[in-house]
Amino acid sequence: MDVRHLNVEVRLEEGIAVLDLVGEINGFAEEALNAAYAEAEAKDPQTILLNFEGVDYINSTGIALIVGLLAKARASHRSLLACNLSQHYVEIFNITRLSDFMSVFPDEQTAVVEASES
Amino acid sequence: MTDPKPARTDAELGRTLADFSVPSEPGNERLAMETVAESAKGLGFSGENLERLKTAVAEATMNAMEHGNHYRPELPVELQVLVTDQDLLVRITDRGSGPPPKEEADAPDLLAKLEGVQTPRGWGLFLIKSMVDGMNITGDEGHHTVELVVHLEAEGGK
Repeated sequence: MDVRHLNVEVRLEEGIAVLDLVGEINGFAEEALNAAYAEAEAKDPQTILLNFEGVDYINSTGIALIVGLLAKARASHRSLLACNLSQHYVEIFNITRLSDFMSVFPDEQTAVVEASES
Repeated sequence: MTDPKPARTDAELGRTLADFSVPSEPGNERLAMETVAESAKGLGFSGENLERLKTAVAEATMNAMEHGNHYRPELPVELQVLVTDQDLLVRITDRGSGPPPKEEADAPDLLAKLEGVQTPRGWGLFLIKSMVDGMNITGDEGHHTVELVVHLEAEGGK
């Protein structure tokens, strides 16, 4: 079974840096994820949104990578948000308590509106 | 991956739904998880219950490839899917030596990880135990086996 390596596009949406994630978030994703996060951070946004719409697999190594991004965001006083997670990965974000530290939204529009109003 | 062997009957264990192995190479946990999922679908697993099983199998296979077989591709991880009257059992065996891994899986301390006090890693065993009804770990001189247990009653689709 071929690994679907992660591709990430970075864009600005109403002042929020959105990372469109496509592929698998596993050990192979580290370089792409960290590079995209650095690209987003260079735009100096207050909020960075991880859009998981194109992600169908996150393993424990991927969870660790997301923890690493969250640690960076907290250190630089930015908000890190998530949207478009499947029901299963919302559950995993809940049991790992990631959702205690990064708000999870059902879709991008809701996330952008909430972030803009806060 | 070796081809899944034909189903056989074991009076003591129940029925074997699949029996196969994967080389210890990064990414092969997905192959293991999808093969087990195909077997479980025949028992009525679907939706979130199927996703939980898939995550548990993937994480246990990753642990076997990494900690048991040290990602040496020539060392296989063997998987058996069994069904009894009450349970679905998935047995995942590596070639690890020494004492079997501990079964304890306290919730990792996310705040400590965020503050750099702990490594960001260390979620695998916790995820496995969160996704299934039971987990047993056994081992001998040359093998470790993790057995995942899912009660079929919970599926409502046995």
